[in-house]
Amino acid sequence: MVGTVRAARHRGRAGAAFAAGLALGAAAVFVALGAIGAAVSGRWLVIAAVAIGAAAVASDALGLRVRPQIHYQVPEPWRRELPVPRALFLYGLLLGTGLTTYVPATAAWALPALSLALGDVRASLAIALGFAAGRALPVLLLAVHGDETVLAERPRGLRLLRVLVAASLLVALFAGTVRAAETVAFPANDPSVVGTDLAWQRPGVGGFIDRAGTLAQLPGNDPAVGGTFVAWHVGPAVTVADRTTLAPVVQDTIPGVQKLAVSRSWLAYRTPTEIHVRPVGTTGPGDVLAKVKQPSTLGRPAIGVDLVAFDRSSQGSSWITAVNASSGRRLVLRFSGDDQLLNPSLLDGQLLYVRSTRCAQQLVLGPARVGGRDRVLYQLGPLAGQDKGHEPGHTEQGERVPCRPKPRITAKVLWTTALSPTTAYVTVLRPGSGRRMVPTLVSVPRK
Amino acid sequence: MLSERVAEASSRRGFLARTGRALLAVAGGGFVLEAMRAQKAEAYHFCGHIYTTGSCPHPVGLPRVDALGFPLRAADGHAVDDLGRPIDKLGRPVDAHGDVLLDPDGNPLPAAPRTRVCQKAGSEFGFHGQIDGAWYRCCGGHVRKLIDCCGYTRKRINGDAALTGYCYSGRHVFCVMYYDTKIPC
Repeated sequence: MVGTVRAARHRGRAGAAFAAGLALGAAAVFVALGAIGAAVSGRWLVIAAVAIGAAAVASDALGLRVRPQIHYQVPEPWRRELPVPRALFLYGLLLGTGLTTYVPATAAWALPALSLALGDVRASLAIALGFAAGRALPVLLLAVHGDETVLAERPRGLRLLRVLVAASLLVALFAGTVRAAETVAFPANDPSVVGTDLAWQRPGVGGFIDRAGTLAQLPGNDPAVGGTFVAWHVGPAVTVADRTTLAPVVQDTIPGVQKLAVSRSWLAYRTPTEIHVRPVGTTGPGDVLAKVKQPSTLGRPAIGVDLVAFDRSSQGSSWITAVNASSGRRLVLRFSGDDQLLNPSLLDGQLLYVRSTRCAQQLVLGPARVGGRDRVLYQLGPLAGQDKGHEPGHTEQGERVPCRPKPRITAKVLWTTALSPTTAYVTVLRPGSGRRMVPTLVSVPRK
Repeated sequence: MLSERVAEASSRRGFLARTGRALLAVAGGGFVLEAMRAQKAEAYHFCGHIYTTGSCPHPVGLPRVDALGFPLRAADGHAVDDLGRPIDKLGRPVDAHGDVLLDPDGNPLPAAPRTRVCQKAGSEFGFHGQIDGAWYRCCGGHVRKLIDCCGYTRKRINGDAALTGYCYSGRHVFCVMYYDTKIPC
């Protein structure tokens, strides 16, 4: 390929055509894989990608022979029969797909798997451009400054390159598993979001609202935003105000009110044992949507158009329920007899919630409808450790431990959520100096 | 070997084991006694268990349960929920000192499900799990009740054929668990 570029009358144009073909071919394949991954995302896909990635890292780090290899080469007659730039563009197109010619590092095989598992078209495009650059640069540089035998005569250089590739792939795999979560505010709890307005509670201080980067304190606690409204309470005195001017629209007294949710049409609130809803412009207790006897608990309510969603936790099971505020129709959105399901948020038919299993805590996004396929946006370790499965002085025969491999436990607890079109918000509780936990509000991209 | 089989069959039958052991000692001498020693619990994964059936799925690992079959942490007998967290009597998670964990508003963190270990084994593996019978051994200075989790299943948790053990009415042993009593021995 180096010879073909060098043979061109206009090397610059020929090189550009080759690079463009590579980028286009790689983009077509990797973006398609990313789109497929988005449609069929699942835990097994991620596990498979990580396994392939780990194998590639090991292979490249140890300098093992690259397997499998593709023996199909680009058609040689093109360079004689077609104008050189066009031939180079087509060569690039074929090489960019990754379906032709030998690959010098096993990491090349991890990239399609990574793209599929990410299920993200933009990330896949970035992988494609990196892959194309990796294939184009050696050819273009050697066409100008050397010849293609240079690489063959310096195997140590290629070895070093493979180690660097393995290291970068390892970093990519690690970064993928820990997915970036950005701190929004500390201490901050109970997020609520609409458009660019994000509200939260600072424990012991009061409610705050961030309007496109401008922070303001609200004259009350446990703020909630929705529609054109913002709501807060001071003790039992609840205020629903215009979100822009903060001018009160409705003021009322609700004994025992703890948490609020507001939308264009509805105000929902939680007392220690009940969840109520009423039209946003009215006063009074409204309709009781749910009632529990302690120690069972009801979570913070969230509203999506007419649906009021909340969690219900007991020693028997864990539910996320939605009640249509207009019709009173009740839907069990999620249920588990083993896991704990907490703090739902609704937006455009999507449900964000926290699922704590024996082996992990997960921030999960999926269709609100029953039976929808969920996707994990963010994950922490489990809240409890495990023993060895056998008693001291006894064999391992017959032992069984809940999580394999043994997970790294954490004292952090995933807590309340909020959902915007681009971002998922979740509170992470950490043990404080007393028994009360300290919240940090973090954001996670939805994609 | 016949002697091992006889010893094994008798070993889970309370005081009959001792009687059998004495009889076998008389009949077979040192060889049979050696076989009895060989099937001691150390060969398996917890004290008192003398066969190969695996532990029931348990949130902490070792299948220790309370008198009602709910999971306990083997190390200290503390009640745990299905997430493996230590909990109080109302199911609320507690810290290392036994104090209830509180959210930023000062309310207890919500309880997670807590399921009977045998029942959970049944729901996880697709059968109705129930406890039929049990046997007892002396472990760590206290009487330990060793419990079979039974069901209408041909396979046990190990994946191979299930045995009758202490299960009745055609049910077989799927997995095992134990309850440590406070009775000294």
